[in-house]
Amino acid sequence: MLTIQDLHVFHGPIEAVHGISLEVEQGKCISLLGPNGAGKTSTISAITGIARSTGLVRFEGRDLSRDSVEARIAAGIAVSPEGRRIFSNLTVLENLTLGAALQKDAAEKAKDTDHWFSLFPILAERRDQSAGTLSGGEQQMLAIARALMARPKILLLDEPSLGLAPKIVRQIFDLIADLKTRGMTILLVEQNATQALKLADYAYLMSSGRIVAHGTADDLGKSDKLMAELTGVA
Amino acid sequence: MIRLSSSQRSGLVGAALLALVLVAIGLLTAYFGSRYQVRLVYSAYVNLIVVLGLQVFMGNARITNLSHSAFMGIGAYAAALCVTPENIKKISLPDAPWGLAQFSLDPVVSALIAVVITAVLALLLGMLIVRLTSIGATIVTLAILVIIHAIFLYRTDIFKGNQAFFGIPQVFNLTSVIAIAILVVIVCRLFRESRWGIQLRASADDEVGAAAMGVQIYRLRLIAWVLGAVILAVAGICYAYFLGTISARPFYFNHVFLTLAMLILGGMRTVTGAVLGTFLISFGLEGVRYLETGPVFLGIDLPEALGLSGIALGAVIVLTMALRPTGIMGNREIETLFVRQRH
Repeated sequence: MLTIQDLHVFHGPIEAVHGISLEVEQGKCISLLGPNGAGKTSTISAITGIARSTGLVRFEGRDLSRDSVEARIAAGIAVSPEGRRIFSNLTVLENLTLGAALQKDAAEKAKDTDHWFSLFPILAERRDQSAGTLSGGEQQMLAIARALMARPKILLLDEPSLGLAPKIVRQIFDLIADLKTRGMTILLVEQNATQALKLADYAYLMSSGRIVAHGTADDLGKSDKLMAELTGVA
Repeated sequence: MIRLSSSQRSGLVGAALLALVLVAIGLLTAYFGSRYQVRLVYSAYVNLIVVLGLQVFMGNARITNLSHSAFMGIGAYAAALCVTPENIKKISLPDAPWGLAQFSLDPVVSALIAVVITAVLALLLGMLIVRLTSIGATIVTLAILVIIHAIFLYRTDIFKGNQAFFGIPQVFNLTSVIAIAILVVIVCRLFRESRWGIQLRASADDEVGAAAMGVQIYRLRLIAWVLGAVILAVAGICYAYFLGTISARPFYFNHVFLTLAMLILGGMRTVTGAVLGTFLISFGLEGVRYLETGPVFLGIDLPEALGLSGIALGAVIVLTMALRPTGIMGNREIETLFVRQRH
């Protein structure tokens, strides 16, 4: 469904990702693992079109690598960004509405918000509250629900467990597992490899802007090399 | 038929509540007020329209604008040049170029022309401003204010500079400005709660995050900027059509500072804040002006204190910024005051 070939990502003059390739199949959960600074978020930014990149980003057979952010969202790619990036001065409802930035039909948008509010009752309860007053876990749920408002075909989740308490992290991973059983295709970026590998069908391990290992969750889970990469101990 | 979102419908409820306040203050003044009080309240309503025009851009994009009084001036002068009768223009503007003194138009047509001229000018300048960072944009708006003022001041053959541009027909009264102010309140609320308004406010919260949601920030800023300028032009037209006389001075620093203080005190993020701040400062300043004259108050003979109103305005800005940077209303519009908020 999503194919990436020889992707180089740049932040100004600095090259953060040096020619990686990966593949996400429909209905699967693929995980992109690696330590801080490995280039995971840069890869996500290149897929969504925010970061400058060269190489191929093919989605459902179509090359999107020259397309704008809006065109990629319209094609069916949505992201819950690193650090959640909730708009704290806007209400929960307004935040959700923003996920459907390209949806012009107010009635359709209202239908979608009702749908996601029914699945996230805690957000429904706080719909007119400033999003800044939500807890970290609630903000993460909001970020995911906001991405889902775009009616995506693939959901990119960038470090959804970042900065959350272990109990909340489990809740978030339960939520991702639930989305997966509903048939959502997911590309999950994580530092928390143990949790991510429980969910993922296939995983790629990144380090210093390159993919250093890939395989099924079982293969990688047993690999000492993976643990060494993640803990930084050679 | 335009379909309104649920946020826009609650925005209309808020606008209706504000309209009630505007009508009440206006009618009380119209029936019971002295000539002086009617003038005072009229200018408060004109300033309200200015503050609303400022709120559309500054409150939603959260970029400080200092050129708003200049755009008000463009609207006022453009309408005045069109509407003033030829025989008066021949006396007051004997050296006017491009046949400006050789025609006069109906007030409605003149107002429309003034709005279009202001909008086109705002569009051209806006294309530069919306691409700049917040500080850069603010400095450019300051430069625009100074440039436009200089043109008003030194092209005396067209604008008469610091001398009075007189003979503008007085077509508006207090009732007309109340109606226009209410209309502008409705427009501002609908814009704020629209898809564009929400996206623009999101981009002010987090520019990168909003871009990742597919928000076209520059385009939205430009829309808000031009809409704001149109409202400012309307304010200028209201000013000229009531007073009958304009000059360059009222469209400069003092007015920029006054209206900025109004918006900051009430809270720039909401339309309710703009209305509240305008009335608090308009009426508060009258109290301060009374004190400036050195009156006998409660049996005490107070000394004359000229310049007190300037100090008071500065103090309002400093105190609001220090104690409550988001202004009195913060993020809350009037209709949310009647709903209990959970925390």
